[in-house]
Amino acid sequence: MSAQPQSGAPTAAAERVTFDSLLWISACLALTLIVGIVALPVWIPLTVAASAGIRLVRASRGQDAPPRGIRLGIAALAIGLLFLQFRTFNGLPAGTALLSLIAGLKLLETRTRRDIYVITMIIYFLSLAALLEGESFWLLIYLIGVCWLTTSTLLRLTSSARKSDWRGSVRHAGRILAQALPLAVAFWLFFPRFGGPLWQMPDNGSNATSGLSDSMSPGDISSLAMSDEIAFRVRFKPGSGTPPPQERYWRGPVLHDFDGHSWRRTEAAAVLAPGLRFQGPAYRYTVSLEPSRHNWIFVLDWPSRWDAERAYLTSDYMLMEPNPLTQPIDVTATSYGHVQAAQPLGPGMRRRDTRLPAGRNPRSLQLAQELRGAHPDDPGYIEAVLAKFHSEAFFYTLTPPRLAADPVDGFLFDTKRGFCGHYASAFATLMRAAGIPARVVTGYQGGTYNRFADYWILRQSDAHAWDEVWLEGRGWVRVDPTAAIAPERVEHGLNDIVTADNTARFSRWQQRTPWLGDVWLRLDALRLLWRERILRFDQSSQERLLELLHIPEPDGQKLALVLAVCLILGLTWLTWQVRRELRIGPRDPLQRAYERLCRRLKSVGCERMPWEGPEAYAVRVSRLRPDLAAPVMELCREYSTLRYGAGAGAGAGAAVSVGAADTGRFSAAVRRFRPRGSRASS
Amino acid sequence: MIVNRRRIYIIPTRFGIALALLLVAMLIAGLNYNSNLGLAFGFLMVSLALVAMHHCHRNLLNLSVDAIVEVDAFAGDYASFEILLRNQAAIDRCDLEIRMDLGGGRVAAAVHTALMSVAARGYQHGTVNVPVAGRGVTRLERFELRTRYPFGWFRAWTYVHSPLTAFVAPRPVGDRALPSASAALGTAAQSEIRGDEDFAGLRAYEAGVPLKHMAWKVLARGGEPAVRSYTGPAAEPEWLDWTALHPLGAEARLSQLCRWVLLSEAAQRTYGLRIPGTEITPSRGAGHRSACLRALALYPPEASA
Repeated sequence: MSAQPQSGAPTAAAERVTFDSLLWISACLALTLIVGIVALPVWIPLTVAASAGIRLVRASRGQDAPPRGIRLGIAALAIGLLFLQFRTFNGLPAGTALLSLIAGLKLLETRTRRDIYVITMIIYFLSLAALLEGESFWLLIYLIGVCWLTTSTLLRLTSSARKSDWRGSVRHAGRILAQALPLAVAFWLFFPRFGGPLWQMPDNGSNATSGLSDSMSPGDISSLAMSDEIAFRVRFKPGSGTPPPQERYWRGPVLHDFDGHSWRRTEAAAVLAPGLRFQGPAYRYTVSLEPSRHNWIFVLDWPSRWDAERAYLTSDYMLMEPNPLTQPIDVTATSYGHVQAAQPLGPGMRRRDTRLPAGRNPRSLQLAQELRGAHPDDPGYIEAVLAKFHSEAFFYTLTPPRLAADPVDGFLFDTKRGFCGHYASAFATLMRAAGIPARVVTGYQGGTYNRFADYWILRQSDAHAWDEVWLEGRGWVRVDPTAAIAPERVEHGLNDIVTADNTARFSRWQQRTPWLGDVWLRLDALRLLWRERILRFDQSSQERLLELLHIPEPDGQKLALVLAVCLILGLTWLTWQVRRELRIGPRDPLQRAYERLCRRLKSVGCERMPWEGPEAYAVRVSRLRPDLAAPVMELCREYSTLRYGAGAGAGAGAAVSVGAADTGRFSAAVRRFRPRGSRASS
Repeated sequence: MIVNRRRIYIIPTRFGIALALLLVAMLIAGLNYNSNLGLAFGFLMVSLALVAMHHCHRNLLNLSVDAIVEVDAFAGDYASFEILLRNQAAIDRCDLEIRMDLGGGRVAAAVHTALMSVAARGYQHGTVNVPVAGRGVTRLERFELRTRYPFGWFRAWTYVHSPLTAFVAPRPVGDRALPSASAALGTAAQSEIRGDEDFAGLRAYEAGVPLKHMAWKVLARGGEPAVRSYTGPAAEPEWLDWTALHPLGAEARLSQLCRWVLLSEAAQRTYGLRIPGTEITPSRGAGHRSACLRALALYPPEASA
């Protein structure tokens, strides 16, 4: 009689982690941390890697976790260091860093399965944190992959057998994950969304802005022109036309203050009514902005309506959002190509927009005076200035020479080479010098049309600067001096006219290999689809979804109902799946007939023991129930013959069909066999 | 017994509860950041948990569990119950744990492997050693079959109601020498006594016959199981007698008798047992030994002390 002492719970040895599972969980943690590694302070991934390394080396030597004192010391040191760095544990970056660190330290002290459970939970949460910030399809796929591996690790942790069969556990975890996918889709589609955030989270602290800023110095925009980065995408609504190229000006920061070198924006007050009479065709469109961390929303000149709730229009017609755009947003707006001012220019604004810094750019002021003498009327003067740009040897270039202290003078009289910013700056200076109110408007012009999905892509390389001048009786009028030098810039965009090697990479590709450009456009169309359908999925999308399902008056309650129905369907499907897998009794008719025989004999008290073959069973039954001996002997013998005799299970050929007929006879005989009464003996 | 849908209970483990809290936090974060990708990941995890619950439940469903009843044990030692798990489904059953609640917070689990797996359409034995303290009959009304498969987030269990009986013989101790056959008087020379020396013919099989006496050839020819019978001047049967241990107390006598039974069986002697109220005629073999041990186990505790 074997006897060995044992504890109540599963033995500690079973709870102890193996080298194998340590390796797996370390790999999963590493894969998760890679995603956010740029945002983490350098020493955190290093600490995590070091503790994983130490633990793995110790485990490979069969050693346990390092002693408690050392572990606690390291943990206190690291977390203290982290606090010194972030000054808080609140917010996403600090929280992510803290969790990463804890996961790494936990790895160092991992002894039992419970420690690994804790690490898997941290991995799940870190994956989520990465997705809160990220927007990419590939990131989602990657993190689902990491989740798969982590879950496989869990499976291996509980699995008793198959220590080396990692393929099997990955496959099995994959199957479970695949079964979870439809449910997850149902949850995602029908879980009621709220309008806004439940509470405001602290901003994540990063303030790296992109694109245009609220000031413009010579050369600023030409540096943007090197960038392929997408600023926003625009889809014009069906039914609304697309404006002609010379009207596709996307309005950004309007700059008023000129110090002789740079133009700056001044804070402009919000206005309720812009004081404009809209004329011409209306364009309705949706702007999908990438996060710029600025407040402005780029809209087509001139905006009249928009659907961004908190956005407001300033007195210089900028559409502003109260908070910097840290998330991609979509704004649907209506703009008109032509406007007329309803009110005269206020004296304050006139003063602001005719001010020039004293003592700067004297030669330009001189030129302005000469021209003004010849053209006392405003439109004539403007024509004269544009004609000067057009007729003289001015060049439009991405790589203008560097300019000295008075950049407008230097540009107009010495270099005569410049990008749109130089022209806009010079033009506004000449206007102001003649007493005409003028301001510089920065934004984007043109764009790339994606013919595969009918929308426009505005890149940083489409950044542009132009001017607006105040004409009595008409109001602010857009004048683009660049058009006077390089009209193709406005007609076709930058790429067609600048063939220098320093244009943006994408443009070069597109010029050399047009099909590559097409591939890129198709990919971008998918990106927009992803953004419109997945990232921007919200309450109104859910309402449309319910309308598609012919559910009238959609609301949150009906959503929840649909979700419940989906879940019930999903779980029923799972249960059905389970039933199918668990179905007892094989499809083999011979086996089924034999099992029926055994069932009938069991009902009269002669159960077949699991170890009994048909012959032994028959012998025993005969002994227990002599009255049944003859038929049972006969049936069992026939079963053995069919099952094990010549020709049985031979596989192919005539034997099978003969066997099938015999099997039919056997099962009919079993069906006729109805034993009655209870066990005689016993 | 086949584990029935209604008899499976399932609750989240501690780790499962922690995961649930984590999932709630994940969903709140996703909603708060208005992040559809975050929500997608959160919902995937929720669905994964739901599916895992199904798999946990399924891991026990329709599993056939049989306990081999009536085992012998010695007081202060362990009773080893054999449990047979049969899996008739086409899927593997993993991480099954057998536990027996012994009362008073003590639990016995299967030996050798804490977790067992049963392959598709396969079977697996598990042994559970239950400590038994006193002589007599120990009954366990039920045992528990539990699993934390697949991810350890849920624990499903079922109670298998199958009265398990262990006959607990006295602890085999005592320093009295084995009574030799010559010392045992009374039942002297019986020519009929089955000895070891000469083959005398075949007789019907009965439980407890030493395997080496089985007539395998007869069995192989398709006949009834038979045993070769021998006669000869075999050793006299020895009587393990209660009365021979006169000065000792009842339990001490039982312990001594128990030791003698084990020694005699080990020495392949023929022995009989005589205790007040019971007399077992001399024989040998596992069945005989078991009958003797059970007689010792069932001796009433304080009746004739």
